[in-house]
Amino acid sequence: MILISPYSKKLTNGKVNPKNYPYWKEVIAGINEPIIQVGIEGENQLVDDFRKNLSIAELKNLILQCKTWISCDSFIQHLATSLGKRGIVLWSVSDPNIYGYPENINLLKSRDCLSKNQFLWWESVDFDANKFVAPEQVIYNLNQFLT
Amino acid sequence: MPKILCSVATKGRYFSTLPLVLFAIVNQTKLPDKLVIFDDNDEPQDMRNEFLYQHFFKILEIKNIQWEWLFAGKKGQHHIHQSANTMGFDWVWRVDDDAIPEHNVLETLSGYIADNIGAIGGSILTPPLFFENSDPTGLLENIDTEPSVQWKNIKQIKSVEHLHCSFLYRAGVHDYNLGLSRVAHREETLFSYGIHQKGYRLLVVPKAVTWHMKNPKGGIRDGQKQEMFDHDEKIFRNIISYKEKTIVVLNNGMGDHIVFNKILPEIKNPVVFGCYPEIIPCKSIAEAQALFGDLDQWNIYKKMAEWNWTESLEKAYRKLYL
Repeated sequence: MILISPYSKKLTNGKVNPKNYPYWKEVIAGINEPIIQVGIEGENQLVDDFRKNLSIAELKNLILQCKTWISCDSFIQHLATSLGKRGIVLWSVSDPNIYGYPENINLLKSRDCLSKNQFLWWESVDFDANKFVAPEQVIYNLNQFLT
Repeated sequence: MPKILCSVATKGRYFSTLPLVLFAIVNQTKLPDKLVIFDDNDEPQDMRNEFLYQHFFKILEIKNIQWEWLFAGKKGQHHIHQSANTMGFDWVWRVDDDAIPEHNVLETLSGYIADNIGAIGGSILTPPLFFENSDPTGLLENIDTEPSVQWKNIKQIKSVEHLHCSFLYRAGVHDYNLGLSRVAHREETLFSYGIHQKGYRLLVVPKAVTWHMKNPKGGIRDGQKQEMFDHDEKIFRNIISYKEKTIVVLNNGMGDHIVFNKILPEIKNPVVFGCYPEIIPCKSIAEAQALFGDLDQWNIYKKMAEWNWTESLEKAYRKLYL
């Protein structure tokens, strides 16, 4: 089973979070494993098994059960890494050197895409789909990871 | 050579003690790299039109001292001092606008700069000298029962836990508490004690006398109310009641809590205020706000911005708390 956590925290100004990966449908189509999506009420459902509003204990349990996980830069990458479970993080504007972990597969299109100020509210940064890696690259890295 | 900023906050003393202070600064045997005057007057004037100040500004140029005259935000001297604290200098010499340093003060204080030193103060004397026979400890626990160590002619170097009025300090180590009211009562005690808590030594040293005129007119605390003193005193008492603890404030996201959790076992006597007790057992942020007034000094994102941080969040937490 592969765990996915597609969305970062909702922004207070209602705009799309610039850390949200835009090509999940393509990624999901390329995964030949059962997928469980985790998130909160109000987020788009991308797979049949969408588990919302889980407790920390429930999330930990799922993480420990999965083969691996795929996430944008969100809480899940921190929780999973603290449990010693390696996964794939899809970066865009936030810096994996600051917010990520070297033990994970950190997919960043280019450091040129990073926001110049890493410490302001993400509300001040516009979403740009061009700042993410292509879904084929995610699938390739997942397959490499699983083999 | 460490870069030294001299910072003077002023209000209501354009034509009384401020000129005496400024001329004492330009006549130091060791000059600061820059002088910044924070003008907090309700109706600030352009002092370039005043004869005395015209000469003063020319002397600054002749002596090759960089300077700025900044109009402050009338929010209190703690905001002014915090601006100076974050102006990019290695050390800041804070001088009150009625505290007149003798010619050798900056040279003497800066002579004690070392890696383990956080701040250095000299004698702060107001005539007549009432406290020459006193023997204060300089410990925070005795603050209610003894005069300041600096209120007498200091005869020998001594380590203390807090400093008073005017002193030289290592910049960027600790923040001023911006939760204090405009009166900023106890601001220098809280600030200098914070440097001490970060593991640096605070020294009082001989042969560095500043004459504190305690000018009853004007001053950065002019026109303030008793409620403000009471508010600040409450914050001060709350903070010193936690002095044996390491205060941790996590006013941020779940991921930030998880990252912090890694270093928690290494922190001495932690008391944690946070948002996610299911991740780290903690008291509420509202309680921290009520106790300490301002939480910015624990804002890891503000700190990383100040530090131009490029390493991991965990390392940033280590820098802030360990």
